[in-house]
Amino acid sequence: MMVEEVFSSRGRVKILRLLVEISELNISEIARRTGLNYATAIQHLSALEEAGLVCHKSFGRIRIYRLNENNSHSRAVKDLIEGWEQAEKKEEK
Amino acid sequence: MLILIFTFLIYVFSFKLTENHKSTDNKYSETPLRRKKMASYFTVFKDESKLDINYLPPSLSHREPQFNLLTRFFQFATESPGKMAQRALIVGKVGTGKTALAKIFGLKLMQTAQEKGINLHYVHVNCRERKGSLFLILQQVILDFYPHFPKRGYSSEELLQMLLQVLDEKDIFVLLALDELEALIQNEGADTLYKLTRMHESRLKSPQRLSLICILRELDCLDALDESTRSTLQRNIIFLEEYTKNQLRDILSTRVMLAFRNGVVDEEVKDLVAEQAEKEGGNARYAIELLWRAGKYADASGLREVTADCVRRASSSVYPTVQKDAVFSLELHEKLFLLGLARRFKQTSATYITMGEAEEAYNIVCEEYGEKPRRHTQLWKYVNNLSASDVIRAKVSEGGVRGKTTLIGLPYVPADELERELSRRLKA
Repeated sequence: MMVEEVFSSRGRVKILRLLVEISELNISEIARRTGLNYATAIQHLSALEEAGLVCHKSFGRIRIYRLNENNSHSRAVKDLIEGWEQAEKKEEK
Repeated sequence: MLILIFTFLIYVFSFKLTENHKSTDNKYSETPLRRKKMASYFTVFKDESKLDINYLPPSLSHREPQFNLLTRFFQFATESPGKMAQRALIVGKVGTGKTALAKIFGLKLMQTAQEKGINLHYVHVNCRERKGSLFLILQQVILDFYPHFPKRGYSSEELLQMLLQVLDEKDIFVLLALDELEALIQNEGADTLYKLTRMHESRLKSPQRLSLICILRELDCLDALDESTRSTLQRNIIFLEEYTKNQLRDILSTRVMLAFRNGVVDEEVKDLVAEQAEKEGGNARYAIELLWRAGKYADASGLREVTADCVRRASSSVYPTVQKDAVFSLELHEKLFLLGLARRFKQTSATYITMGEAEEAYNIVCEEYGEKPRRHTQLWKYVNNLSASDVIRAKVSEGGVRGKTTLIGLPYVPADELERELSRRLKA
């Protein structure tokens, strides 16, 4: 997945931002917290997983998603989001 | 001229009044009342948190043999983890140190495991607080490892499998203490405990990751279990006898040193508290609670030491620990409902009030606390729960009341005491 494909979608950015903040979450909770509907959340998560940015673990029927720490793009995204948030906080001060 | 004389007289009179007022003020400052007021800033306590129900002492006096026995039972956990799982029972009356023993042991075991590089966790769950539901108990354990694990959408059997999967994945060993096991047996029946004790049987090649410590007051409640579960559980039993007066005095001495200023509690007072607690079934928790309350009476009376009279006054106001525990673990609306009851019983001399009156009182309390009141069926469940925990007494009306209604009584706890305790907890 190209960088513009990740960042051109508001939903994907919201999901990535959420997973940076709270490391592990299930699909319903991701959908609830990002304000996306369940099907859209699954769609975005599948796309992000295909790109290697996120990964999941299954416990029975429950799938828990988190950022894929083994993926260098994922780490770069994490650094970007964290840096962005820090800069925002500094500007607010 | 007349006006001038009149003004002069008023001036002289008001001056005298001020003088009088000042002298009364001075006199007042010398009164015992003022002295008492000044003294009320003095407190006999050094650190009253050491008398809190949740305070865990670094070691438990007079329970060394039992501690050593637990260490033997769970030795494998730090020597050959995963090779086996163990189950132990701790049995003893209220205030005999069951919970403290399990917690102190659990924390020590965790520490030893950590030193050896073993990922062992001690998880303490109060079954009554979890409404005796296996689902809620397992959920609490799993949330320790996955704080955002979904809270709905699966059965307790699935959750048990998920827990084992989580433990496998994170390579964790768990020592799970099920406090107040009676609640789990009453609510879920024998099958649940059977599942818990035998869950490793279907996992022959996998490491055994979950060991159990079951804590209960009486062995009788295990009669409800089938023979195989009982035999699995009853292999390792640790009985905690009631504390004797001397043992209670030892415990009190340690707590006095930690919680009170030097020299404010003398030996005779400790003796008196120990004696009272021995009569209450060797209950150390009662002894500590009584000591704390006596300290509070001393503070309120502006005394510089805890006297025998403070203990006597305190003992008449401490209600049995069983109910106190039950009140402690209630959920918000149960507390609000109970607060409404306590307030209604303060106003009336009747032994029982009707469910309708109780609901009315509860609605007022909900309004005060800005909470949306629960409906009748939920309140009826609360009444059943509270009655089962011996906090209230509920019975169906017989004659003299139109139709059938539930009558609620508060025979075990003084209403004003209960109100104070609940208000304090709700504010906290």
